[in-house]
Amino acid sequence: MRRATSGRRWIGILLLALLVTLLAVTTLLAGLVHYRYPGAGADVVATLSLGWLLGWIAGPLLTGDDAALRMDYFKLLPIPARRLAHAMLGAAFANVSLVFSLIAFAALIALGARSGVAAALTGVVATALDLVLAVVASTVAVAAFGPTISSRRGRDFGTILLALTITLLSLASGLVPLIAKRLTDGHSPVLAAVVRILPSGWGAVAVDAAGRSDWGLVALALGGLAAAIGALVAAWPPLLARRLTMSARGGRQRAHVARTGEPVLPLTPLGAVIGKELRMYSRSVLRSVMLMISFLVGVLVGVLSALSGKTEGLPFAGLLFTVIAAACFTNFYGDDGTSLWLTLVVPGAERPDVRGRVWAWFLVVGPAGLLITVAFTAISGQTWAWPWVLAGEPAMIIGSAGLLALIGVVSVNGPDADGGPSPARVLKTHLALIVIPVVTMFPAAALLAAGAAGHSPALRWLAVPVGLAWAAWLGRYSLQQAQRRLQTQGPEIFARLRTSAS
Amino acid sequence: MNDGGSVPALQFAGLTKRFGENVAVDHIDLVVPPGSFFGLVGPNGAGKTTSLSMAVGLLRPDAGTVTIFGRDVWADPVAAKALIGVLPDGLALPDRLSGREILLYLGLLRGMSREVVLQRADELLRVLELDGAEGTPVIDYSTGMRKKITLATALLHSPKLLVLDEPFEAVDPVSAATIRTILQRFVAAGGSVIFSSHVMPLVEQLCDHVAVIAKGKVLASGPLDEVRGGQPLEDAFVHIVGARAGGAEGLSWLAS
Repeated sequence: MRRATSGRRWIGILLLALLVTLLAVTTLLAGLVHYRYPGAGADVVATLSLGWLLGWIAGPLLTGDDAALRMDYFKLLPIPARRLAHAMLGAAFANVSLVFSLIAFAALIALGARSGVAAALTGVVATALDLVLAVVASTVAVAAFGPTISSRRGRDFGTILLALTITLLSLASGLVPLIAKRLTDGHSPVLAAVVRILPSGWGAVAVDAAGRSDWGLVALALGGLAAAIGALVAAWPPLLARRLTMSARGGRQRAHVARTGEPVLPLTPLGAVIGKELRMYSRSVLRSVMLMISFLVGVLVGVLSALSGKTEGLPFAGLLFTVIAAACFTNFYGDDGTSLWLTLVVPGAERPDVRGRVWAWFLVVGPAGLLITVAFTAISGQTWAWPWVLAGEPAMIIGSAGLLALIGVVSVNGPDADGGPSPARVLKTHLALIVIPVVTMFPAAALLAAGAAGHSPALRWLAVPVGLAWAAWLGRYSLQQAQRRLQTQGPEIFARLRTSAS
Repeated sequence: MNDGGSVPALQFAGLTKRFGENVAVDHIDLVVPPGSFFGLVGPNGAGKTTSLSMAVGLLRPDAGTVTIFGRDVWADPVAAKALIGVLPDGLALPDRLSGREILLYLGLLRGMSREVVLQRADELLRVLELDGAEGTPVIDYSTGMRKKITLATALLHSPKLLVLDEPFEAVDPVSAATIRTILQRFVAAGGSVIFSSHVMPLVEQLCDHVAVIAKGKVLASGPLDEVRGGQPLEDAFVHIVGARAGGAEGLSWLAS
């Protein structure tokens, strides 16, 4: 198992390195090419610099404090905080990511070189300052917001980072050309102003100003960068001191419980399970990421095609979101691992457990899916789509709520050795992406297709109640089957989880 | 607290479990008297966890019965499970929840009223010295803290029998002392406890009854003094199990 895990980690690292190299070279090229609209080059480079700076700040926060020199190692050493702070800041520069960032930020030099030697030299200074800013901001961000080390939590991150990278990559491929197009056409003064006014854009502003021999602005922009770096360096030692003297629990995620407030959920076994599940949705990294991916893919795919003028896909964004969110949560019991024992030792808890999980998913996904569907269909102006989405979305939500409970108790895939999803679980999610929409929507789809072929609005609208009725029966039937199975096969389901955990 | 005076708190009759060719539990008969502090001892792989899992409804036996105060765990699970509190070894919890949230969830799941659950949760967290970690999710708990919060889940509904699998394994001495005191108070108040362990001095200090199991069979069972027969439990255990304490031969190069 360990070998498989480290193999996947290497593939992840390789993919990431390849991706980052591509991004760096693309950024550099963005500084080299010619733009029709004056100042567009600076806008594009400022935007890309913002991306790089965000990457420097968000990367370590997402992956945990994974630097070779972890701050917590120094907790017990008798070193003055200020000296340690400066030494650690120096050590932060020994980072291989700097090579990629140097290539990317060199876009400033390329941009300047188009306007002459002085602007190119300004680009050199701006590149250096941007690099320093990236490293310092990243280090300070980890100390200020970063999670303290916890191996149990750390396990979450490898798998999730890979999933996020792939999703964002596929989305960025649609988003980046679009933003670039708007900037290079000079169609988006607001966007251009925003990316220039942020510290990440000051380097590009300086280079642009140098090209126009506006030396006052050059001095202001570069001075601003230097001042931003100075401010972060000054803030660093006290932040580090706070981090090092923090108690083991002080910086960790808090899990508050509202004790004085009136409980919103019913004070019953069912309410207890719904409450527990809703808390898990908001706190479990795996669940949050699955919801985020469903949302990003579902919504952005429609939005991106709409931005390039094709609004036919927009009404179906909610359906796409719902089907991904359903497929991702077809492994209720597997993902929670051996904690099923708690349900099995409480008399009669199987029924509320299954129902509570279904309700929680329904409450998290249902309203969001419906809202996206209605809002996007209205915005798109595609009036023909109303019977399609009104027949599809409710059927999908109600039908899959029951269906995913049934799939979750029939096929139980425990977590992998490193706490991530097992290959079988990933395969199941992919299959569910096909099976769930087919099973929940085929009666409605048949009527819709027949209505479209026969040009019959009555047939098309009939799909709405038929779709709902089918989904209601399907959801109820699957839910009952799921309950019965957990009641009769609870120990056998638990045994599968126990085997995969040991 | 005792239910019916002499009805055993827990009784195994012909209990059997096979995993493929391996017979993990082989026709075990065992009686845990009500109000007793019962130690289940045996070497690793003896079948302790397997037996206790079958006793609480987590593992289905191939043959035999388990009764808790006369209720069959597998034929009448609702009645039987209401009487027991369970502390398993090495199983997960909903670990993004804080200790208090887990107790509130479980209490409501058992149909208890919110006021009672919150009041008991407060007391349990205080007595188990977990009240300092109120807002901490269980994922950030130490091993000792996890054992203690699991013990709290077992005690919350005021059970009559506690079934504890290795409650002192990997627990620091301070937490172990806390757990010990709470268990002794539980028995003094009329509750019954069965727990598995391979720490003989601990079993000797706590228990009034003991059973020795090895290779899925009960080799000796009864009041502590009868089973150990005047010698330390550790010696009696080695004698009963028929094992020879190894480590005396070979290794001549060691520290030479």
